[in-house]
Amino acid sequence: MKKHTGFVTSAVIMLCILWLAEISAAAQAAQRRIAGKPDLNGIWQVLNSASWNIQDHNGELGVPPALGVVEGNEIPYRPEAVAKKQENYGKRATADPTEANCYLPGVPRITYMPFPFKITHTPNNIAISYEFNHTLRPIPLDGSPHPETPEENWMGISRGRWEGDTLVVDVRNFNDQTWFDHAGNYHSEQLRVTERYTLMDPDHIMYEATIEDPKVFTRPWKMSMPLYRRKDPNARLLEYECTYYLQEKIYKDAPFFR
Amino acid sequence: MTSKLFRVTITVVLVITAVSLISASAYAQARAANATANTLARTPDGQPKIADGVWNRRGVGGLDQGALEAPDHRPENPLDPTPANPLSVSTRADGLNNVDRGFLEQFSEKLGAGGDDDRPAPRGERRLMGIAEPGRILPWKPDANAARQAFLLKTNPAQGLKYVEMDARCMQPGLFFGNGPFQFLQTEGQVTILSEYQHFTRHIYLDGRPHLPKDIKMFMGDSIGRWEGNTLVVDTTNFNGITAYSREIPYLTDALRTTERFTLTNANTIDYEVTIDDPNQFTRPWKVTGQYTKADDLPELLEYACWEGSITLRNILGEPPRK
Repeated sequence: MKKHTGFVTSAVIMLCILWLAEISAAAQAAQRRIAGKPDLNGIWQVLNSASWNIQDHNGELGVPPALGVVEGNEIPYRPEAVAKKQENYGKRATADPTEANCYLPGVPRITYMPFPFKITHTPNNIAISYEFNHTLRPIPLDGSPHPETPEENWMGISRGRWEGDTLVVDVRNFNDQTWFDHAGNYHSEQLRVTERYTLMDPDHIMYEATIEDPKVFTRPWKMSMPLYRRKDPNARLLEYECTYYLQEKIYKDAPFFR
Repeated sequence: MTSKLFRVTITVVLVITAVSLISASAYAQARAANATANTLARTPDGQPKIADGVWNRRGVGGLDQGALEAPDHRPENPLDPTPANPLSVSTRADGLNNVDRGFLEQFSEKLGAGGDDDRPAPRGERRLMGIAEPGRILPWKPDANAARQAFLLKTNPAQGLKYVEMDARCMQPGLFFGNGPFQFLQTEGQVTILSEYQHFTRHIYLDGRPHLPKDIKMFMGDSIGRWEGNTLVVDTTNFNGITAYSREIPYLTDALRTTERFTLTNANTIDYEVTIDDPNQFTRPWKVTGQYTKADDLPELLEYACWEGSITLRNILGEPPRK
């Protein structure tokens, strides 16, 4: 009996040591910091089908089913704005700016395109490079204001700041051309997106995007989803050149007027 | 007792001596490294620091060197060798056009140390840019040069999609188009170059990893780098065979391998050199020199949306039939 107790005790102690070692390794990894802030460098990707539909949806041919990423699953369209969403949905096969036309997807859709993206994080800058159509978002962290420009941008203009350990990116200066998903959810040029990137552990970021657009929605609303670190030992950002593939398809038999 | 105390004292003294010797030698080494580093700052992982902010490039490629803005630009016939057609690729042995040549010579005259204004450059600091081959004659394989000229004859008007310039198609340009603005970001074991033009990113890995498998082909290739003193040396393979060097050299093949040397000469200047090795087209590698300089008047990279709403292809190739 005494012998058994000794064995059990030492086994428990060994397990405790292993467990402690593991959490300390994890803590150490989590503690990788850049200028005092969590190190976000790496290749990340969502595991959802929000790019097809950010709300609850059933499967369709080529569309994986999913529960939505919108908080409460409700998008607070103004009454007069609903019709356009429905119209978009009806013509989505040809009118989706991203899926059908390979245009820059806007924010936050670029985040949940089913492609990896790479965060490059230095003390003064963050840049996010996306595999989808080599989209690039430079995000200055220098505290400079958004430029006073009437120019409208597909990807908006981003400014980053830290709130504690959360990277907050304020994105403005959008055009009204992008959709939030293939289901036709849309916005106007009054869109303003506030993204929050919070490193939960070394391999997961909680991503939140708050959407404000008083022209289209009655109140701000929010999406959230985890970003997963690509752990494949050979994980790399390659090239998904949507525009090139589309041109090769459309203009295969060109020229058309001779 | 005394002897024990003595032993302890000796040990302590020895340890202190050893530690100070080691740190003195580390200090000397660090000092020597600093001297070679020419007082450049370092990143936490020891790379020479490329300054934050926005950079421009000169000397490389053809399209963005002003040729398109030349007053007598007549692109109708790429073989027309008259001086009024600066884009002629016609009969010259090197296949390069006269504007290219004139422009590069003008460049070398005007260029000072890190400035491109009209003031004469200080003597001894001029840097000849562009194709660094004697007479700018490229070592073409005759068949490849003939194929190139035949290709160019089909480019205007374009006799099909493959004859439309990648710039007009809004594609990532490879390494030779687009002279900025750029940003350099350095993270542990990596240098990342961001480009406003065509919003491309170059990911240069410094960790000694091998190149991607040969069947992976990319517009921007696969870049592996290393620092040699203040020079970032970048070896790039896995090109897709459809990006150009310039309008006159409308494609480099997928056998292309480039070796770039980014030499930090001071906080605001990077001397650039690239060796272009395309054994399918040239009998030997050839070299181009250029320069990156800080652009302090540009605060940030803006959006370069090219394909979005573009009607260029429709204008060149006609309206695609509706399905």
